[in-house]
Amino acid sequence: MKQHPLCTDCEREVDVNGLPIPAGLKREWSAVETRRQFLGRSGKVLGWAALASLFGEAALRGRATGADANGVVTSPGRGNLGLPHFAPKAKRAIYLFMSGGPPQVDLLDYKPGLAAQYDKDMPDSVRGTQQLTGMTSGQARFPIAPSHWGFKQYGQTGTWVSDLLPYTAKMVDDLTIVKSTNTDAINHEPAIMFMNTGNMNPGKPCLGAWLAYGLGSMNDNLPTFIVLQTKTNPKENNQPVSSRLWSSGFLSSEYAGVGLRSGGDPVLYLADPDGVDREVRRKMLDAVEEINRQTQADVGDPETNARIAQYEMAFRMQASVPELTDLSKEPQSTWDLYGPDAKQPGSFAYNCLLARRMAERGVRFTQIYKRGWDVHGDVVGVLPTLCAETDRASYALVTDLKRRGLLDDTLVVWAGEFGRTVYSQGGLSKENYGRDHHPRCFTTWMVGGGVRPGLTYGETDDYSYNVVKDPVHVRNFNATILACLGIDHNRLTFDYQGLDQRLTGPQPATVIQGLLA
Amino acid sequence: MKRSAWAWVVAASVALAALPFVLRLDGRAHGDSLQFLGRFHPTLLHLPIGLIVLVPVLEIAGAKRAALREAADFVLRVALVLALPTFALGYMLAYGAGDAGGTVTRHVWGAVVLCIGLMLCIVVRPAWVAGEKKMVYPASLSVSLLALLWTGHQGGSITHGSGYLTQYAPRPLRMLIPGASAEDAGGNSFYALHIHPTLDAKCVSCHGSGSAKAGLRLDTYDDLMKGGKDGTVVVAGKPEASMLLARVTLQPGDPHFMPAEGRTPLTSEEIGWIRAWIGAGASATATSVPGVKIANVEAEPPPQPVGDYSALVPEIAQMQHGLGAKLVPVSAKASDGMILRTVDVSSSFGDAQLAEFKKFAPYIVEAELGRTAVTDASFDTLKTFTHLRALHLEGTAVTGSGLSKLSSLTQLRYLNLSGTKVTAQSVEALKKMPQLRHVYLFNTAAEGDGTTARSTP
Repeated sequence: MKQHPLCTDCEREVDVNGLPIPAGLKREWSAVETRRQFLGRSGKVLGWAALASLFGEAALRGRATGADANGVVTSPGRGNLGLPHFAPKAKRAIYLFMSGGPPQVDLLDYKPGLAAQYDKDMPDSVRGTQQLTGMTSGQARFPIAPSHWGFKQYGQTGTWVSDLLPYTAKMVDDLTIVKSTNTDAINHEPAIMFMNTGNMNPGKPCLGAWLAYGLGSMNDNLPTFIVLQTKTNPKENNQPVSSRLWSSGFLSSEYAGVGLRSGGDPVLYLADPDGVDREVRRKMLDAVEEINRQTQADVGDPETNARIAQYEMAFRMQASVPELTDLSKEPQSTWDLYGPDAKQPGSFAYNCLLARRMAERGVRFTQIYKRGWDVHGDVVGVLPTLCAETDRASYALVTDLKRRGLLDDTLVVWAGEFGRTVYSQGGLSKENYGRDHHPRCFTTWMVGGGVRPGLTYGETDDYSYNVVKDPVHVRNFNATILACLGIDHNRLTFDYQGLDQRLTGPQPATVIQGLLA
Repeated sequence: MKRSAWAWVVAASVALAALPFVLRLDGRAHGDSLQFLGRFHPTLLHLPIGLIVLVPVLEIAGAKRAALREAADFVLRVALVLALPTFALGYMLAYGAGDAGGTVTRHVWGAVVLCIGLMLCIVVRPAWVAGEKKMVYPASLSVSLLALLWTGHQGGSITHGSGYLTQYAPRPLRMLIPGASAEDAGGNSFYALHIHPTLDAKCVSCHGSGSAKAGLRLDTYDDLMKGGKDGTVVVAGKPEASMLLARVTLQPGDPHFMPAEGRTPLTSEEIGWIRAWIGAGASATATSVPGVKIANVEAEPPPQPVGDYSALVPEIAQMQHGLGAKLVPVSAKASDGMILRTVDVSSSFGDAQLAEFKKFAPYIVEAELGRTAVTDASFDTLKTFTHLRALHLEGTAVTGSGLSKLSSLTQLRYLNLSGTKVTAQSVEALKKMPQLRHVYLFNTAAEGDGTTARSTP
């Protein structure tokens, strides 16, 4: 055998695990190194199988699902993380992701002074050195486009809400509206990655994956993290979303979001084929699991554990998902609340209803993607459709959670990846205008466990362009969400590539105490 | 020597006692250099305190070991040597900064008595050691110690505010302490609920009965409206013209920024209250201020911690394995208790299974029994869950008879009966449980009974 340059004991075979290198690197090595191990050790598999069967099934099970110090059975590979760090206000979260960037000036960030400034140029002092997108950087001027819609005050808080959101207006006293959310990215992909994973480059785990990893499952029969995509409306400008957004990054892939399809079977190939009953399926899975365990013992790739867990999850989902998506037992009051859209699988209202059912059944994190908010042009034509699709359903979800007693320990978040400019992209007329991407401020809201109801946090300037008071950067936004769920964002970390990785990244982030109840 | 020592003591005592009359603390500031030195007062003062407290310890322990008693004399002298400059620095601080008011005066006189007491102790101690005059030294030492306690407390009140010690005292205890609750402005006006507590926490330690810098007191409504030496601080209806608001909204580095000297600034919320309150006319009695909604000002008492269940962990693990229901820690802190989670086995989890958890009853703070097979019989088990804060019974077959058994659960805040068979009559019992803040009766015959359902803010 060829001598390894770092090997001092030539009698023994070199093994990465024997080298004086950080444990994280060894783990990464075992995750990537598969083919060589497979070829090199496949001969031993049969011997191991025989030995394992001598130990018996119980011994195998005992090793795979250990019990932590608190006697809580933990998921394989997760171990005892000592989470939540402190008593959480919210056990679960539902994230309504408004992909594309909703125009805050037309929805919740009321700027009464703009009407008088119609078609005037944006003052350079306000715009400052802000980078422009390629879509408006060629524009000769930046004419101010006041919102086409009126605003009124609602609730005891007297919160100003656009006429486009009559249902949201009804719940403003419950909401925590953040007008000063701001991000670093100006284009969709980096911004949406940043919002979801705390990093503009793909490859990092998203919020839901961190929660699944950190807090674990509440219901063994359903995924911890579920993603629902809303069917697109061809009238709208739909930016693509990809599974990178619900990926688990360097965390084990069992923490990635499980997407339910918006039409047909919610999960493809979940039903057993003809002639295969549940008994047969169980036996098959047991056998596969045994083989996988041997592979895991032999190769040490943590992804094998993830695969075992996913097979098991799929088996249990065969029973739990049909029950979850069966809406036939919903009372009439549900349909009265959510409206007729909720009967259409794949609509935003249908997804909101599913999200409520998942909250009841112990799904830790549900993320609903609604695309189409990228209103570069024809705001007047498209925005009413977008609001009609989402306004009532969002209200229905919050109201439904509230009346069923779920809002006490569920956090609901409504956010996009950035805001939109106050100036018009393309031509401005009394009848129509467009709005470009705007990272410096956008409006989001939260409601439920952990956040303070009836609060409007942060202020923007008269042009809804810069934050002038209480800014909430994406990092701090995410840190605050984690805090509601009992997690100290500085302590939920994973050692990867020599860095204690975390959702909020290496830069300092703070929990916005002002948002917390 | 003895006579000359007495002469020194008398002379020094007269000088100390005369000081407050010569350099009067009238609220005027006297120069920054005095303050520079004076601010070492809070640093230095802990040294003599420690030594003075050590003296009686040495004297008592000295009954057994003579060497310790010998040391007492030395410690006493060092204490005096440190106490005098501490006093001097303290006086420079007060005189330099223009501190005035009852607490400062009491603090000064306490210190005078303490210094005189220490000197007296030194002079009378030799007689006590020799076995003569058995009572004089112990009496002087006791007086000194009492003076130390009193002075220290007054000093603490200057720094932290007068209610600092008693602020979090249990209510019955607070009633016994005179003056501890007198700070309360009373009533349910916006001023009493928000403005007064804010000023009390952040401003009154310098602008109150103890110390009224710049002649300004903010501890009562009348004083607040009267203003100080620089004029009024609140102009009703005009927040932007009110100095109170102007000072707290300056940049923190500004020399006029309040609270001064690095004390905790007001939060943006507190500033918002003050702005809205002044804007609405700065009334002492108005109960609401437009644009400000305060959700649930009544602070919820902190949850009662549960005991240590670490010894039961193996048993818990075994139980979970058998029943499929889990006991999940609320957080990494064991005293936050555990959640009983049944969602994986809900259809087979009934009264018998619930009864199995009786032995873990005091550690369970939340019982998730939604959509399980439990019935009204479960209330007998549940009433033993003494630390239960949240109870989920939604979608079960309970009819509500026996709900009254929950009344002994003083920690219970949340009760979800949605989608059960409870009736308006059976939930009557809940009216006798004022601690229940969140009751859900959605989809039941009792729904819409506004007097029983209490929902989230």
